[in-house]
Amino acid sequence: MTKSQKQNLDNVIRYTLLTVWLLIVLFPLFWIVATSFKPDKDWLAWPPVYWSEEPTMSNYNNVWGGAMEHAETQYAQSVQKPFTALRNSTIISFISTFLSVSFGAFIAYGVSRYKVLSETRMFQLLMLRMVPPIVLVGPLSLYYTTIGLIDSLTGLIAIYFITTLPYAVWMTKSFIDEVPIELEQAAEIMGANRWTIITEVVFPVIRSGLLATFLFILILTWSEYLVAFILSKTDAVTLPVELAKYEGSSEGRVYGRQAALSVGITIPLIIVGITIRKHLARGFSFGMIRK
Amino acid sequence: MARSEIMLQRTKRYKKMVLFPLIASIMLILGPALLLQLYLSFNYYSIYSEGWWASEWYALDIFSEVVFDSRFHIAIVRSLGFALASTVGCFVIGFGLALLMYKNFRLQWFYYIIFIIPMLTVPIVIAYTAEMILYQKGPLNGILSSIVGRDMLIMWITNPDIALLTVVLMEVWNWAPFSFIIMMAGLASLPKEPIEAAQILGASRLKIFYEIQLPLLRPIIVLALVLRFLEAMAEFPKTWAIFQGGPGTATETIPVLIYLNTWYYFDWSKAAAMSYIVMMMMVVIILTAIKILQKENKRIAQVQAN
Repeated sequence: MTKSQKQNLDNVIRYTLLTVWLLIVLFPLFWIVATSFKPDKDWLAWPPVYWSEEPTMSNYNNVWGGAMEHAETQYAQSVQKPFTALRNSTIISFISTFLSVSFGAFIAYGVSRYKVLSETRMFQLLMLRMVPPIVLVGPLSLYYTTIGLIDSLTGLIAIYFITTLPYAVWMTKSFIDEVPIELEQAAEIMGANRWTIITEVVFPVIRSGLLATFLFILILTWSEYLVAFILSKTDAVTLPVELAKYEGSSEGRVYGRQAALSVGITIPLIIVGITIRKHLARGFSFGMIRK
Repeated sequence: MARSEIMLQRTKRYKKMVLFPLIASIMLILGPALLLQLYLSFNYYSIYSEGWWASEWYALDIFSEVVFDSRFHIAIVRSLGFALASTVGCFVIGFGLALLMYKNFRLQWFYYIIFIIPMLTVPIVIAYTAEMILYQKGPLNGILSSIVGRDMLIMWITNPDIALLTVVLMEVWNWAPFSFIIMMAGLASLPKEPIEAAQILGASRLKIFYEIQLPLLRPIIVLALVLRFLEAMAEFPKTWAIFQGGPGTATETIPVLIYLNTWYYFDWSKAAAMSYIVMMMMVVIILTAIKILQKENKRIAQVQAN
């Protein structure tokens, strides 16, 4: 076999394998989009209906348009509040992420420049993220009930702030480490105090890194399920929790409506994630991978 | 001398200032919850009690009940098995894809973007979508049937022998991108010279992979495995939303069992004792993992500095 033949064969194998995985990745995504446009009778048809012959917007109208004539039961109507969930998800994820990144960045600066946390302490900080939340949410819900934070946005913001802080500190530290110290020394000679150096020299230099950290943590909080599921009842329900409420009392899951809501929840995250794709490895590896 | 003392003082002040919110929120939010967890493990609390403060002292009875509970043992084994299987699955697929893709080719950007989508999808959405797809008369069996040419009606969800495997498959679909992006970054950071030198000396691709690339990648591989394993131990939404521990107890992992005990059997004290044991177990695992990561982190920094 000549070299170019071998290369051709390589390419055929590569594209075949990659395309197989591509289809595996795309099929569930296609299915959920397709289902969101299907009328009731096509949800569970056999043989399966891949694309409905009578595509409909009724699922979207039902979830987002308040078209009550199609809602399954009176009960369902009273518990399904997609707009409240959307508002809650937005408020909770944006505020907790903002707090996490801003406090995290100041800690990270301290660690990077003054070692306010030793290396071992930095690794211990990861505990906040690595201990499975299930071991604490039970007692936490009792505690929240006692102090009146159960089913409140504040309660969820506080817990998300704590559990995403390790990501914020580690990720922003990896960006701050890359800022040349000479820049700060120059500013210091010109008489800038520490606050000015941080907010007007360091943070502006790493602003794209800060934005990437913010968006990365936003993805995590937006999609979090367990903690929100347990610490919310009616008022603080977030979108992932809201999704479970699309079950009719008689006919089980309401696939089309759930699909329509899922599409709405997921698309913003995919767009955000693709935008920061160059920083995802850094984020998920706590900044240990920097390329 | 005086200047460095001032600097030291300033640093101390900065340290106090920035660490205050972290310590305060841990003490205000996590502290009481941890104490309550310990309290519930020794005092029997059920929803029929007046409140958690009115529960009855049981000494070590609750702990001993949990320690000898075979359902709890099986849940631990199941969780470890699930975490191990899904970690290996994610890694094999992620690393495989990265090896196929790390050298530049025409559609690289396109495949990369598509391949990271699963990890950006909300886990609970994956769970509900999987249920629609894995339904006995759903599209996956439909596709399999048309490939095989006769009806293949695999019971992905209702067969207790398959159910846990189904969760593993969902987890792999969801998180293979994690291993993929980490290994892509790792492969991209490898130094080119030793590989080129080996090629000139006539080493086969397989030999180059095993003797040059793999050893250099080792710290990054460890990172990808350790982080994924820890996250998989905590997996809840996909297991819960479809299976609720069933069929039977086939998918009863640690998080599901604790959830069931708390909110289905209302056996808060038992759940608290379980949580406490699991927490201690996880702390040991995490401290080991952290030691490994701390060691490998230095090597990763070295590899990346090249």
